[in-house]
Amino acid sequence: ALSTRDRIQAIRDLPMSFKEKKHIRWVSHKQIKMIRKSFSQTLKLWQGAMKSIGGKFGTSVLTYFVFLKWLLMFNIFSFLVNFGFVTIPLLVYKGLEILTGAGYFKYTVMYYGSYSNESLVGYNMQLAYFFTIAVYMVLCGISLIFSMAVNFKDNYVLADSASNSAWQLLCTWDFSVTNEKAVKQRRNNLCVQLKESLSEMAQQDLVIYQQCRVFIFSLHTVFIIIHYLYLFYVLQQATENDNWSLLEEAKTLLVPFVVSLINLVIPLFYSLFNKFEHYSTHRKQIYALLIRNVFLKMSILSVLCYYWMSKVPAKGSGWESMVGQSLYRLVLFDFLFLMLGSFFGEFLSNVIGTKLIPRMGVPEFDVARNVLELIYSQTLAWYEPYERYIRHFISSSSVSVSLTHNCQPPRRSGRAAQMQTIFIFLLFFPFFVGALSIVAYTAWSLTPSKSCGPFRGLNNSFSAVDVWIGDLKNITGSQWVVEIYNNVIRSEIFYFLITLIILVIIYILWQVTNGRKELIRRLRQQIVNEGKDKSFLLERLQDLQKSIPNKNTKQKKQKGVCCENYFMLTSLCM
Amino acid sequence: MGTTASQLSKESLSEYQSNPFKERICQVFSTSEQKDGSLTFEDFLDLLSAFSDSATLEIKSHYAFRIFDFDDDGTLDCADLEKLVNCLTGETNDAKLSSTEMKQLISNILEESDIDKDGTVNLSEFQHVISRSPDFVSSFKIVL
Repeated sequence: ALSTRDRIQAIRDLPMSFKEKKHIRWVSHKQIKMIRKSFSQTLKLWQGAMKSIGGKFGTSVLTYFVFLKWLLMFNIFSFLVNFGFVTIPLLVYKGLEILTGAGYFKYTVMYYGSYSNESLVGYNMQLAYFFTIAVYMVLCGISLIFSMAVNFKDNYVLADSASNSAWQLLCTWDFSVTNEKAVKQRRNNLCVQLKESLSEMAQQDLVIYQQCRVFIFSLHTVFIIIHYLYLFYVLQQATENDNWSLLEEAKTLLVPFVVSLINLVIPLFYSLFNKFEHYSTHRKQIYALLIRNVFLKMSILSVLCYYWMSKVPAKGSGWESMVGQSLYRLVLFDFLFLMLGSFFGEFLSNVIGTKLIPRMGVPEFDVARNVLELIYSQTLAWYEPYERYIRHFISSSSVSVSLTHNCQPPRRSGRAAQMQTIFIFLLFFPFFVGALSIVAYTAWSLTPSKSCGPFRGLNNSFSAVDVWIGDLKNITGSQWVVEIYNNVIRSEIFYFLITLIILVIIYILWQVTNGRKELIRRLRQQIVNEGKDKSFLLERLQDLQKSIPNKNTKQKKQKGVCCENYFMLTSLCM
Repeated sequence: MGTTASQLSKESLSEYQSNPFKERICQVFSTSEQKDGSLTFEDFLDLLSAFSDSATLEIKSHYAFRIFDFDDDGTLDCADLEKLVNCLTGETNDAKLSSTEMKQLISNILEESDIDKDGTVNLSEFQHVISRSPDFVSSFKIVL
């Protein structure tokens, strides 16, 4: 491709009239533009499918798929970073012998345990791994914080505080819905929602539902305690032995099986409870379901992490490989259960709903539950970052297929944009922070085992950086790196000062926001007052105009007053 | 689709038969003298451009206001709001709001959005309400 200057020069050299040259220039410019545009169109994944889903189910279900696409982009970026900096140098150095070697999975390059701890020609493997993970986590954190902040500003601060107000319901009629049945259903739903927003709940229902709620809450706690105990029991049973008999292998599969089963069954119970409980707004219903599911998943993950971090290193050498294997098994089972759940589970309830018990109806697409599944699998990806990408494609297409065949749109349309904010916030706060703290704990406190992993032989993973700084001291010209390291990164005063400054800035911005809110309130009051002034002056004007023809003697004076009022009125209107 | 001089009548927009605002949309975007809601090609382009992803909030809210203004008088008064609510809820008897409910709903709407308290919602008040609703831009969209 020639640059524009060269192109113009080439056209100028053609032996044609000026008009034809101008035409050629215009045509070639258009062609380049069209090529660029069609390239960017192909980059927009799934545009046709998303349009049809939005047409049938509406924008709130579409948020699930938008979120999925966002996560996929995120993961592709992380895959490129990891692959580029860690795997490729190793492959280049070791050649393909590792991949075609022994049949055991644990020796492939995708596997943390087999990384060599030698420094390849000028490329320090330990440092590469450490810094890649660190930079990747920091970038994840920063991008999550930014999207959270932008979403929060758009959807919470600037938006209306009343969630169920009539105007909001009317203005957000979804114009992209084209299916006739879907439109009819939406209209009925909207009518029901409007009626609900008008009427109050009857007093007698309140007492019954409160009693139910207490009972259901106690059931929840019982459930959680039961699953904790069972998980502990199962973990104790599944011990890692060195004799690799078939029974031992089967036993190791028990833990992920139980975990995935719990993950599948208990949210269904929660959805069942949700149907019986009565909430004043649809949003509160979703939030209650979401909070319960989040607690469930956090508790599962924390039990597993505690077990791995405390028990496994005491057991012996090569704990990194063991943890990696357990994670891999967990992820595999999670994926299998997800596929089974979406195909058979919803297919079955569709069949039951339409043929056997028509009163139950077709299952609704539970946006909250599915999004939480996504977040959970994303968290697992942060622990072991290689196996997710294909999975995302397959699981998303299976979910969309089951969606179109088995489910109907949710009965009450939620606030799509605010739900998007909540999802990103959930992704960040419990899950990312949890993953980050586990990774940090692993890097700082746990001793790497002596036989596998790239950090073997060191006291903890972070001492790789110490070693490197020690080496740098001897090289002149890089003293500034050592200085920065010793006085900035390792000193506590630096972090203390930064935290203090950030807190002060937050306080100042908070005060500014409060002042602006007060200003908005006063300006609104001023608009109302000016409206009243305007109508008062109009009435006066009309009265005076009526009384002018009757009183001829005082005509001049009245006219003067009339003109004065008129001028005041026009100045107010402008 | 014919030459640029041909007209598109309301009935041929078959994809949007189910849209409850189909007649209003045709009326708003039509520039024909007969006022029968037929669209030329340029009108159709205007329609698509207003409903596209890249249209700004001002354009969308301007056209939304004109679509909701059933009597074309430049403000949304009680009759317009009542027609709007009836358009968006169902036509069967149990899906309709009763007259007391309708009155209550309209007074709620006016209380929330009528800033200068003159009993009608004009364009700036409507745009102010729309700007507080983050879902409007994503739902006021037709993608071909």
